[in-house]
Amino acid sequence: MVVPSDSWCIRNGFVTEFQNLGQTQQIPDYGTAFRQNDEIRTVISAMSEFMAANEFPLQSLEAELNRINNESVEMSLMQGKSGSVIEESPVEALRRTAKADIILNLDYKVTMVGPRRQIEFNLQAIDAYSSKIISGNTGTSSPVSSATPMTTILEEAVLSFKDNFLAGLQRHFDDLFANGREISVTLLRYDSSPVDFDSEFEFEGDMYELAEHIDLWFSNNTVEGRYSLNDKSANRMRFSQVRIPLYDTVMGKERAADAQSFGNKLARMLRKEPYNLVVGVTPKGLGEVWITIGDK
Amino acid sequence: MHFNTFRIMKKTVAYILVLLMAATAVFAQNKERRKSIKSWENYEITTEKVGTEGTKFVKVWGFGKTVDKAVMAAKRNAVHACLFRGLPAGPNANATPAICRDPNTFRNNEAYFEEFFAPGGAYLRFVNMTTDGTPAGQDRRKIKGGYKCALYIQVMYDNLKRQMEADGIAKKLSSGF
Repeated sequence: MVVPSDSWCIRNGFVTEFQNLGQTQQIPDYGTAFRQNDEIRTVISAMSEFMAANEFPLQSLEAELNRINNESVEMSLMQGKSGSVIEESPVEALRRTAKADIILNLDYKVTMVGPRRQIEFNLQAIDAYSSKIISGNTGTSSPVSSATPMTTILEEAVLSFKDNFLAGLQRHFDDLFANGREISVTLLRYDSSPVDFDSEFEFEGDMYELAEHIDLWFSNNTVEGRYSLNDKSANRMRFSQVRIPLYDTVMGKERAADAQSFGNKLARMLRKEPYNLVVGVTPKGLGEVWITIGDK
Repeated sequence: MHFNTFRIMKKTVAYILVLLMAATAVFAQNKERRKSIKSWENYEITTEKVGTEGTKFVKVWGFGKTVDKAVMAAKRNAVHACLFRGLPAGPNANATPAICRDPNTFRNNEAYFEEFFAPGGAYLRFVNMTTDGTPAGQDRRKIKGGYKCALYIQVMYDNLKRQMEADGIAKKLSSGF
């Protein structure tokens, strides 16, 4: 999904302002940008074309925003035969946003070189799972006459960085297949839980903390045991750079794995003997999952 | 009887000589081709500007005993650069990565590339020469043992990439998914 960068939106005035604790904050207004700016549509079309040629059709942010808007309207009007309405918690409504594996963050600006103009562009591909930049491209187009249509200059800029950008993606995919997808996992404890992460459970005749059991489980279920335990206390554990396999078998069927499916696997382990915990799994985007013990 | 034996021997020797000469010529030709493929590490190429959709516009040099041979070498060098070396950034264009990113691709597929780059081989399908006629002026230099010629060439980069993917030489972006 190609998303105009925050700086592009601010520079071009496609922002919504609101007051937050006495400070004025700006958030990008993508809907208005797509409706009013032809240039951004040209760049996205050019990028969509070459990505589709490489068998990777891009998700349209504009279409996705429209879908979410329509969904909200329909959900508010929907009624069952008995008059019941669709229920949605504030957190669920907050999470009903556009999601994509890879976000292409696009920025460009036009500069004048004497009577001629050129484009400085910056395109970053960001892995939504790990928030890492997997391909970055910057450059400046050749100066052209001011009479040259902007769409032509923008198309040339896209063609200029296209192959470098694709090579960056290829490196990322090669890494995914070799080392797995990167996610983060946070474990939290509700006060209703009878145990915390320091509670001890038996393993092969010895007593170990629950945190150690979970650590061992990560070691056994990540690609080549790659993960980092960043934070550990009685109430909280946080794992980052967790490399999970791209595909997983669930109920005898192979399917693409994500943070939620990985979290579900850990939850199934914690619900069994000897732990017998009540476990909730809450995905946060594609690359992060929160696992709660003591309640769902 | 003796005379007949002598005639048969003479014919046999002649046949052997002809066969030997042909074999030597073929061997020398193959050796020369192999040598030319191996010596590809030494050529100059620059990106002139951003090519139109799916193409690269480069200036590339070739060496040869004659101008024609130098022109052919330049064409081969342009395709070779797109495949193995990548194209350097120019003042108005970004760098282009090599299609075959694995440094062992050439060694692992030597037979394929010898045929691909053979005289009149498949590589020519991916070359659009954009300079008319033989190179002249600064672009044609007489050097010791032959000529060094520069050509402005439009390489059909995307088509070349797709061909390599179809032949299993390069990996598709979507492979594995």
